[in-house]
Amino acid sequence: MQKSTIPFLLINCFLAILLVSCGSVTKNYTPKKLDKTAVEVPYFSDSKTDYVYKTNIAVYGNELSGIFIAKKINDTTHRIVFTTEFGNKLMDFEISENDFKVNSIVSELDRKILINTLKEDFRLLLKKQYLIQEQFENESSEIYKSKDGKRDNYIFISKKDQKIEKIVHSSKTKEKFTLFFNSENNIFAEKIQIIHQNIKLKIELNYFKSE
Amino acid sequence: MKTKIALLILFISGNLFAQEQKMTEAEIASFKQDVNVVAKKIKTLSTDFVQYKHLDFLSKDIETSGKMVFKEPSLLQWQYKKPYNYSIVFKNGKILINDEGKKSAVDIGNSKIFARINKLIIGSVSGNMFDDKEFTISYFKLKGQNLAKFIPKDATLKKYIKQIELTFDKEEATVVQVKLLESSEDYTRIVLKNKVINAKIDDSVFTN
Repeated sequence: MQKSTIPFLLINCFLAILLVSCGSVTKNYTPKKLDKTAVEVPYFSDSKTDYVYKTNIAVYGNELSGIFIAKKINDTTHRIVFTTEFGNKLMDFEISENDFKVNSIVSELDRKILINTLKEDFRLLLKKQYLIQEQFENESSEIYKSKDGKRDNYIFISKKDQKIEKIVHSSKTKEKFTLFFNSENNIFAEKIQIIHQNIKLKIELNYFKSE
Repeated sequence: MKTKIALLILFISGNLFAQEQKMTEAEIASFKQDVNVVAKKIKTLSTDFVQYKHLDFLSKDIETSGKMVFKEPSLLQWQYKKPYNYSIVFKNGKILINDEGKKSAVDIGNSKIFARINKLIIGSVSGNMFDDKEFTISYFKLKGQNLAKFIPKDATLKKYIKQIELTFDKEEATVVQVKLLESSEDYTRIVLKNKVINAKIDDSVFTN
């Protein structure tokens, strides 16, 4: 009897650890009292700014480079255009919280799975305000949790300089993709990375000043 | 439709007063000959360029600039230097890219269109583009300049490029501006300047 209990306990412990570890993406964060109910992300919010970035996309070992252009065209909607360095348009989207329109896309990129992935990425990238339901912290960041349908977004704000460092889009158990920001003034992001955890897709945006 | 396009071009260029006059048959023949004579002499060509990407919804054109080098019969390099380093080489039917030190072959999105534009640019310095079966070509006179407009015949190409316009200096009979109009009313305009013809250019320039 005694002999069989130990392995059984071990398995139980192991299962418990396993359940805890996939149980929540917030396992390493300490819950705390909400200090605000909304977080503003200003990086694409100015309707007067042409947001122009040199872009590299790595997808399953393929590299694609070009120019990413975003502009807020009205209160709710952004226009997103991706061109080659030479200037020809590869994609042209209009995107808001609830709407999405493909103005044009070259046939080589016209794949539903790609368009849907980019739609999700860009929608989060352009989102200006997140309503907060829960708050956590770790050593370096305040972490705000914002519900997004069946999923959640976690906004990380550094304790050191109060800058938005990253936004993690995740299901209840798994991180799906993360937006990383580098910003000097916290109004404008010089460098942005969109990294997917479940598929091999990485998008890097580097701001450039037109001459 | 023709007048509509012509009007649009006038509006887009913001150049309502630059009169665009259709060439007569005789003028077309003489223009083609002028370009041909100069083109035949061109063994190498290097030029600075400034590229203006115009998108209707932006408040300002996106400006990039660099250098273009051509060597007979079909070596071509486009090198962007500002605001980033990006270079593309057309060589032996291949397209080589150097993106801030990262090297690769061409992306699928570019190749077809690039190859045709490349052919057109090379064609315009070598003088055989006016016989191109791929385009419907019309000819115009401007002040001190000649203008040739190319409308793709191929439906696939037409989806991406509505029209290509090459502007020639009247005296030198070489290209000074390339304008690519996309299917929507957006365009890329490339201005060529500081042209040097027949300087010695080593083949090693065309490695990327």
